[in-house]
Amino acid sequence: MNGERHQTEVDPQITLVEFLRGSLHLTGTKEGCGTGDCGACTVLVDGNPVNSCLMLAADAHGRQVTTIEGLANDGALHPLQQSFIDKGAVQCGFCSPAMILSAKALLDRNRNPVEDDIKQALSGVLCRCGSYKKIIESVLALAGSEKENV
Amino acid sequence: MPWQEARKKMSKMKTHYVGARIPRVDARDKVTGHAIYGFDVDLPGMLYGATLRSPLPHAKIVEIETSEARKAPGVRAVVEGRDFPFTFGTAIKDQPFLAVDRVRYVGEPVVAVAAETEAAAMDGVQKIRVRYEELPAVFDPREAIKETSPLVHPNLEQYPNSGYPVVPGTNVCVLRTYKLGDVEKGFAEADEIFEDEFSAHAVSHATIEPHVAVAQYLPTTDHYTIWSSTDRPYLLSRELADALGIPTSHIRYIVPYVGGAFGGKNTLIAEAIAVALARFTKGRPVKVVFSREEELTATQIRVAAFMKLKTGVKKDGTLTARKADIVWDSGAYVSNSNGVAIRGAYTIFGPYRIPNIELVSRLVYTNKEISGSYRGYGTTQVSWACESQMDMIADKLGIGPLELRLKNAYVEGDRYINGQALHGVGLKETMEKATQEIGWGKMRQPSSTVKRSGKGMAVILKGTLTPTNSCCFIKVNQDAKATVICTTPETGGGQKTVLSQIAADAIGLPLDSVSVTTPDTSVTPYNDAVGSSRTTFHMGNAVFIAGQQVRRKILDLAGKALKTDPHRLNLFEGKIHEEGVGERITLKALVKQVFGPAMDLLGEAFYNPAESPLLAADPGLNGWDGRMSSIFWMFATHAAEVEVDTETGVVKVIKVVAAHDVGQAINPVTCEQQIEGSVIMGLSNTLFEELKMENGRILNDSLADYKLATFLDMPQIVPIIVEAQHREGPFGAKGVGEPAAGATAPAIANAIFDAVGIRIKDLPITAEKVWAALKEKKGKG
Repeated sequence: MNGERHQTEVDPQITLVEFLRGSLHLTGTKEGCGTGDCGACTVLVDGNPVNSCLMLAADAHGRQVTTIEGLANDGALHPLQQSFIDKGAVQCGFCSPAMILSAKALLDRNRNPVEDDIKQALSGVLCRCGSYKKIIESVLALAGSEKENV
Repeated sequence: MPWQEARKKMSKMKTHYVGARIPRVDARDKVTGHAIYGFDVDLPGMLYGATLRSPLPHAKIVEIETSEARKAPGVRAVVEGRDFPFTFGTAIKDQPFLAVDRVRYVGEPVVAVAAETEAAAMDGVQKIRVRYEELPAVFDPREAIKETSPLVHPNLEQYPNSGYPVVPGTNVCVLRTYKLGDVEKGFAEADEIFEDEFSAHAVSHATIEPHVAVAQYLPTTDHYTIWSSTDRPYLLSRELADALGIPTSHIRYIVPYVGGAFGGKNTLIAEAIAVALARFTKGRPVKVVFSREEELTATQIRVAAFMKLKTGVKKDGTLTARKADIVWDSGAYVSNSNGVAIRGAYTIFGPYRIPNIELVSRLVYTNKEISGSYRGYGTTQVSWACESQMDMIADKLGIGPLELRLKNAYVEGDRYINGQALHGVGLKETMEKATQEIGWGKMRQPSSTVKRSGKGMAVILKGTLTPTNSCCFIKVNQDAKATVICTTPETGGGQKTVLSQIAADAIGLPLDSVSVTTPDTSVTPYNDAVGSSRTTFHMGNAVFIAGQQVRRKILDLAGKALKTDPHRLNLFEGKIHEEGVGERITLKALVKQVFGPAMDLLGEAFYNPAESPLLAADPGLNGWDGRMSSIFWMFATHAAEVEVDTETGVVKVIKVVAAHDVGQAINPVTCEQQIEGSVIMGLSNTLFEELKMENGRILNDSLADYKLATFLDMPQIVPIIVEAQHREGPFGAKGVGEPAAGATAPAIANAIFDAVGIRIKDLPITAEKVWAALKEKKGKG
């Protein structure tokens, strides 16, 4: 979990998002529907974006989970976090953690995404404030950058 | 008058932050996951609430059996309507916290359960049995206005009512009429008369953060504390106090970050359940979080509207008269749709000079989910009718849609329908810029032979609720850091950023030395609401005045300390400079020198535009008629380019240009966010969103079935900021949040007409409707 090892017993029916928020108090991961439709609960499991409301916590056994709290390094923001701030990609912010993690997964596998790649990769996360345009700009600003690999 | 003095200074001030593209001050908290929302509130001893809701649209409650639920493991309280028999509603007190005797819509709360865990609360709910006796229900407001219709509220006229005109013995809970001039004379003068009917559907606000409230009741003091995602904590605490018959001071509202609101989080929704439960949990707080199903079926939706428009026009395009008849679907309770049916209705006359008008606006109960405010407060619905018909007129008369609008559009000094002289009117500039950017009049080659391209435009005007109050404190501490203490929730609109910028310039501090508090009504002073696009103007003015007051205090102190005339001193970026001398002392050093180790300097201010000469209306008006002026008016033009697939009816929006007259952009970034976001929201509710209903039950109760626009639906969006400065706005600013939502739908519809010559009058514009209209046209042609 964000580079830390957690050894704990979990209720078999607890979802990953419930475990993250309830047991580990990592409330940066949000939940907007509980049915995998809004994407607000997206976290990275072994580097891949996952709707944590649809994954059982027990299935995270032995996996590397990254949440938004795991991106900044001792106060130094991840370049994507900085880019979201600089480009005005944050409004109410409820979807921001999921957007940033989805974008990180994209950049980790494709350093040079074009606009359509970004739209595809992030389309599972809904933003009702409609920050889509500025979110794309924030990710595009880092395309081709070497700084991604955090 | 402190306001007038401050005003004079403002006009001469050189600003450092106001007008600049400043990154949002709340963004860092949000990108790191540290921002705490109502959804994240977690208190010691907290219980969880769940709600049993009505499965029927209209029924008598015969019996409620809760004994099994009370015995269920982990259940701490089971509350039904008769245990908490209060009603609320600011306009008409018609709504129970939990249904008593009768349910009026599918999804109405009937019994609430508080338990140690969410799962235990839901298990408790499952064990409750309710016996109903079904009553005849009414779903279409056009049926509900008939005298033969079943009554949703047979006791309507007995409810406490704060002056709203009801029609006794019917489902009409607000009737508003207004006349200007003589419409019959206006129609007689016209060369052409246009009579059309339009409808705008109910849509969900669909904020990604659901409705949430945590309530705690302390029986020893009879006080409630509520942590909630809302944009108007003071108004809700008053409404709650009024419902419970306790002083407002017994209710404390704390508002963490709000995960989107758009008008959907400003009535007692999750709060009603949480408060009713908390009354019975012996001091333990209760958290109520709505599921997405509850969000879509049992919160508050846009008020659906059925609009008849009759408009008279001369051959040259001059509008001579308009008669408008609007039936609004209130759903089962009035909530705050009263304002939509009154203030929202007026803007069906558009931003045009029409000498003769007549309005009949009726808000009607039905056995459906409750309606209420939705970004634009009625404007999105009525603009649909107004702006669609404008293009129909233009087409028939053979005048360009832009020319027809320019001919009739308000300009500075024109009179609004109540006689108010309009000030700060940048409407024409928004039209010119938006049409220029979209390439008005130029044809674009469609991407395939079965597709047709078209362009359309629509304009909008929106006022703000007037007059309303805002006040704030500012404290500047020994570290030269300022805190703006106010009750302005950050709902996503950039409120904290804009107020910080105004405070930094008003005082003379670096932006990162300014913060804005989280609303807590036990500490932060009165503010009406974040709503009606009023924050920048009203709270912005209050913050400016308080900031100037603190600045004056600082410079006076500095004058004494430095033994010089304070009027020769300037505070900039936290440093005090003397004219002709240069930097003398930092603010931090000054405070330490004067007061020792720790001290706060305080400012306070109040703003309400009630006395403004700009509000003067026709002196003959009184009552509702006298209350139509707005302290500022916002104007916008949206121009859309679409491609219509003639084989499938699918509409693809290629580009939307949205030009908004904001008065003065305090921060162009936050203005663009509002404009771009509203284009997406408008596109989404025009093409995709629709609550499908069968016998009062909403069928598409998930985000898999209730479709919101995603990244893949996004057109090219070009926001344009127009600045027709307002003489009473902070640095000339007006507002932007609401008007942004209204013009997209008619702009798309007008572009579709331009592309394929069909006119869709009923929202949403689905591929099926377009396809059917194309087929019909082909059959005729």
